[in-house]
Amino acid sequence: MKRSRIGYLFVAPAFVHLLVFALIPILYALYLSFFKWHILKEEKPFVGMQNYVDAVTDPPFWNAMWNSLRYTLVSVPVGLLVALLVAILVNQKMRGMTIFRTIYYIPSICSGVAIAMMWIYIYLPTNGLISGTLNAIGIKNEINLLNNVATAMWALVFMSIWTGLGPRMVLFLAGLVGIPQSLYEAAQLDGANKLREFWSITLPMLAPTTMFVVITSTISAMQIFTPVYMMTKGGPEGSTDVIGYHIYTDAWQKFHIGLASSKSFLLLIAILAVSVFQYRLMKRQMEGYSAG
Amino acid sequence: MKRLISQICTIALVAGVLFICLSCKRAEAGNKVVIRISNWGGVQDDNEYERTIKALYDQFEKENPDTDVVVERVAGEYVPKMLLSFVAGAEPDIMTLDASSAAVFMNNGVLKDLSPLMEAEKDFNLDDYFPNVVDIARRGDKLFAVPIDFTPMVLYYNKKMFRDAGVPYPKPGWTWDEFRATAKSLTRGEDQYGFVFANWMPGWIMWLWNNGGDVLSPDGTRASGYLDSPQNAEAVSFLRDIINVDKSAPTLSQAESMGVDLFAQGNAAMTIVGHWAIVGYKAPGSKIRVEDLGVVELPRKVHDQSVTVIYEAGLAMSKNCKHPEEAWRLIKFLTSYRYQKAYNSTGIAICARKDIAEEHAQGELEESFLRIVPSGRVPWGAKVEGYDYVETMGVQLMDSVLKQGRDPQQALTMAAKKIDKDFARK
Repeated sequence: MKRSRIGYLFVAPAFVHLLVFALIPILYALYLSFFKWHILKEEKPFVGMQNYVDAVTDPPFWNAMWNSLRYTLVSVPVGLLVALLVAILVNQKMRGMTIFRTIYYIPSICSGVAIAMMWIYIYLPTNGLISGTLNAIGIKNEINLLNNVATAMWALVFMSIWTGLGPRMVLFLAGLVGIPQSLYEAAQLDGANKLREFWSITLPMLAPTTMFVVITSTISAMQIFTPVYMMTKGGPEGSTDVIGYHIYTDAWQKFHIGLASSKSFLLLIAILAVSVFQYRLMKRQMEGYSAG
Repeated sequence: MKRLISQICTIALVAGVLFICLSCKRAEAGNKVVIRISNWGGVQDDNEYERTIKALYDQFEKENPDTDVVVERVAGEYVPKMLLSFVAGAEPDIMTLDASSAAVFMNNGVLKDLSPLMEAEKDFNLDDYFPNVVDIARRGDKLFAVPIDFTPMVLYYNKKMFRDAGVPYPKPGWTWDEFRATAKSLTRGEDQYGFVFANWMPGWIMWLWNNGGDVLSPDGTRASGYLDSPQNAEAVSFLRDIINVDKSAPTLSQAESMGVDLFAQGNAAMTIVGHWAIVGYKAPGSKIRVEDLGVVELPRKVHDQSVTVIYEAGLAMSKNCKHPEEAWRLIKFLTSYRYQKAYNSTGIAICARKDIAEEHAQGELEESFLRIVPSGRVPWGAKVEGYDYVETMGVQLMDSVLKQGRDPQQALTMAAKKIDKDFARK
């Protein structure tokens, strides 16, 4: 009994932190979403579902939802694939491999703002790393990746694959190490080649890791904010106005706090729905392998 | 072992909680009145200037032994952070107010009307200040801030380029046509441009004003009928033609890609910016010599006198300030001659006090600024809440004209509709 009390004491700081800085604000935002809540005005009238109605009838909101969706639909699968390949690569038993593991992990411990600044220079037209290199080798261009409706979003996606590589790679690496060697030995006795081993052992055994990576990556991709805030401010012409940034501008540029809160809850519902869908889908896939 | 670990953890936890409690207490320690003053800009370097300012604060504390001044520098996103501090009831006693985002504070009754305090004071006279700068914080007979410093947006030109091209220096009262011809005759392909245009609405709104247009209705409630006026379409077309037809200014992409201030680099003969730019032009990396720097008012079009905009910083007191007497004493000190004299020594902006501004205006360059001041208008951001959004729309519409080749009238109409839709939510 006494031991368990000590246990509660230990989880208390984390729980209090979660309560004060996450749960209470979330519930408060839910409350706000039913009011026309001006940040400084005395009168904050109750408007019922009006903010939700306004949100779903607001074309920029759907534009932002769509932008977040297409960002997620590309950055998550491609990022996953790249991370898996890199994880397999750095899982080879070779001298100095830990150096590579470290290098690939570095982007994810850097400040998001510093990374965004660096990529602004990479994408700069004429003198940026990409455009400048092309110019130097004789391909004259003025490619302005971040300022072009057709390319801005994909420039952000490309950057996010690089930034997000580290944590995903580590997760896959842990998954790879966890696969019992005996399975590979048995496969070799049966005469399976490397590709076959990959398809029939590595991939299925990585399913739980993959599920975790897919769900967490999707959630964070739906919430992307820093690179947009730093690099494009939602432009050009709203083509990178993702939902996180859209809500931010509603709240802090236009001061529609109630509306922004209602949009946050619509986003929460969307993310929840996607996560549950992914979980169901992948759980069904995994069931065949759970015996191993 | 386990017990030892759990004991250590418990002690650490208790110590942590105690530390937090104690540090909260510290701010209220002693019998002194603590006056908190907030400013944007984050942590400052330790340099000669900062030490001078610090010494002046120390001086104030010495002269007012019952008062402790706490300067709170807010790094990034000043307006949201200040708004939240009001919501949380943790606002500073004095806040520095940026004219271009001041409306939300002034319109919602969270600031104290300073006019009674000023009237009660013999040695405080508003006539010491530039009247149009003071007006930024005026609402009827109420005044919510005392201005510290400001700048009108002006046109800088590189005299050497004018001399080399045999073009006379621009004179006050010059017109749009003269400006266009001047920019053209100073352009030498891609090595030298006559003008450099930045798509930053606070830096180009004056073009609309000078053509008789505006962004919002006089009461600031709608954009349709104003932003989308034919005058504005004409002004936007004018700027577009200077860039795309005359090629007297680099395209936005070209300017961005060079990633440097083309005017400071000696690649552009004219630019429009505030007083703060002088600091950069005088800095070691700049390719322009200070004696070649000229300043003139913007070219005029439909009015006899061109107009410009004034961006300003002022000191405001929060309405719920618990020690208004001490806070007012601090404001008086911070706007006094001796403090402002030192404060304005960096030359970033123009002192809002006429005496120091005039003292500082030795030489033609600074005098030119003072001549422009009377034609300065109050920025929209000081009147209309959420004006940030209008400026975002402004940048987007200009982008769509200059980069995507959209028709100016069409772009303005679209932006006006979006702004009206947003304003309707207020």
